[in-house]
Amino acid sequence: MANKFLSDLLRQKQMDSPKEILSEVGDFISEYSSHLMGCGVHTSRVIRNAKRIGNSFGYAVTLSVFQKNIILTVADLEKHEHYNKVIDIPELPISFEHNSELSTLSWETYDRHLSLSALRRKYLRILRRPAIHPFFVLIMTGLANASFCRLFGGDWLSMGIVLTSTITGMFLKQQMSKEGINPYLVFIVSAFVASLCSSSSLIFDTTSEIALATSVLYLVPGVPLINGVIDIVEGYILTGCARLIHALLLILCIATGLSFTLLLVKDNLL
Amino acid sequence: MEIFWKTIGLYNSSTWVYQIFIIIAGILSTIFLIKKNGRRSAIAMKLFLIVLYLWISVVYFYIYCEERNYNELMSLFWGVLAATWICDLIIGYTTFERSSSHSKLAYLLLIMPFLYPVTSLLQGKSFPEITSPVMPCSAVVFTLGILQLFSKKINLFLILLLCHWSLIGLSKTYFFNIPEDFLMAGTTIPAIYLFFKQYFLSNPLTVTKPQIKYMDWMLIGICTAVGAILIAALIITLSQS
Amino acid sequence: MIAWNILSDALFAALAGIGFGAISDPPMRAFRFIAILAAAGHSFRYILMTFAGVEISLGSLAGALLIGFGGLWLGKIARTPMTVLCIPALLPMIPGKFAYNMVFSLIMFLQNMESSSQRALYMDMFFSNMVITGSVVFVLAAGVTVPMLIFPKRAFSLTRKKR
Repeated sequence: MANKFLSDLLRQKQMDSPKEILSEVGDFISEYSSHLMGCGVHTSRVIRNAKRIGNSFGYAVTLSVFQKNIILTVADLEKHEHYNKVIDIPELPISFEHNSELSTLSWETYDRHLSLSALRRKYLRILRRPAIHPFFVLIMTGLANASFCRLFGGDWLSMGIVLTSTITGMFLKQQMSKEGINPYLVFIVSAFVASLCSSSSLIFDTTSEIALATSVLYLVPGVPLINGVIDIVEGYILTGCARLIHALLLILCIATGLSFTLLLVKDNLL
Repeated sequence: MEIFWKTIGLYNSSTWVYQIFIIIAGILSTIFLIKKNGRRSAIAMKLFLIVLYLWISVVYFYIYCEERNYNELMSLFWGVLAATWICDLIIGYTTFERSSSHSKLAYLLLIMPFLYPVTSLLQGKSFPEITSPVMPCSAVVFTLGILQLFSKKINLFLILLLCHWSLIGLSKTYFFNIPEDFLMAGTTIPAIYLFFKQYFLSNPLTVTKPQIKYMDWMLIGICTAVGAILIAALIITLSQS
Repeated sequence: MIAWNILSDALFAALAGIGFGAISDPPMRAFRFIAILAAAGHSFRYILMTFAGVEISLGSLAGALLIGFGGLWLGKIARTPMTVLCIPALLPMIPGKFAYNMVFSLIMFLQNMESSSQRALYMDMFFSNMVITGSVVFVLAAGVTVPMLIFPKRAFSLTRKKR
């Protein structure tokens, strides 16, 4: 009870104090929402978070989200002032950490009425945190794909071969992405290399088909695929379809890379 | 098993002259690289490695190992390795700059190709059906040695491909009963550990997620696990023969 | 033996979930929840498919629903959105074998255009594998969103700190 009273008091105080400048809040929200869209958050969450932050400053936020841009209006309903902006969505690596930490930040802003400077400081601190180390990703992906091979019924030797081929392919993918090469090309090449490496399992009397099948699965674009379905189900059909088509193209690239290998070894597989 | 040694015998008896040339070229380019470390010697070394890999791809696997199954696949794999070196030569990625640490392991790796025939002879085999220094496994060990000696800037993709090869080599030793390849697999493991550590975990002061020490433990754990599997396989093979 | 099979299935699924999660840079605290969800979902599907005779798409739906509700429950503890836990946990259930067979039969179809019997065989193989792969992937994605639609309030406030 006392808690609620305190928060009401706080909100009252917030109302009395001069409002943060509309354009600055708008700038922050545009930056925030485009960052969220860029690092793989589904559309409805981006919109909810942005509205929540706007609400805590007493502004109404309306977004329309496309695949590459966001159109944003922040409105001060009392003074009838509007702030409009069209923002490009940057292409960032997928980051669940940013997803969850920035969502937490939006709730914190709403619950504690952070000032804009405090909010911006916390936002920058979250962005400056180190991303997951590529070496850790490399090893974990290898182990994951090897255990995937096990789940499909592969034996220990196939698991070992899948482990090293995945690590090789994943390393190539990381390096090529760092160089800024077109992602479709990256997917084709790394799928080809990983499956070529794992095709060496054909020499042995082992479950080589399963090894070949699993060696490219580390590339499956799970995040755009599932985000796309979530978006469509929640009514953001436009962005949902864009995400699904993107995921589908990447899957086609994996299939292309795999089929190069299959063309080379198909006589041995029959 | 019989086919394996038969192809090797055929290969050795008909190409031993060229093999000697390749060995001499290898020794010369290694000495050149160690004595006069620079751009020119690096290019010479890369050219030698390209020739060596293409030789293994075309002459060894494609022509002489035709009786074995899937020789095209192996030939293709070594072709990819050679192509990686060609790319490296064009871009100039690997600089072959000297690094002071771990040179003992590097020299051991460089001598290894000559230990191969010795181990074969010790096992009671005789020429031509013995392992020779110009064979895929010796080439892997030699490359790892050179890269370990000059590990300031290395092409890790190539090392991963070689690592994949030595894993296949390890399973081949188990399936086809060739104890020589345990040499390769045994020396690859510490080399791989050092390469990874140098490439990814060389700066212990940076803040990373997860912390450097945990990743180091993870790497040690994996290398130990592979080593344990290797020793177990060695014991099984020896008890069989 | 049965218990061992289920346990090893869960263990490898957990490892796969963690690894696929690592690609998308989750917060460190999320890993254990991802492992739990992946193990639960995949072993549930395994049990249904081996002992109850359920086919793969229905089994996947059940697994995805389990992961979805589990994500809703564990998300509050981990203070992460549902998707952070559920997407990596779903990935071990992707029908990779069928997807591979699909690509393989497509290539064989294109390579054997002359003989009509071979062509029909590979086309049949291609379509049946495509239907299985497509439906399983769809069912996985749909199953995990159902909890989000049933409990929207809870799903939207998982990252809110308790006051």
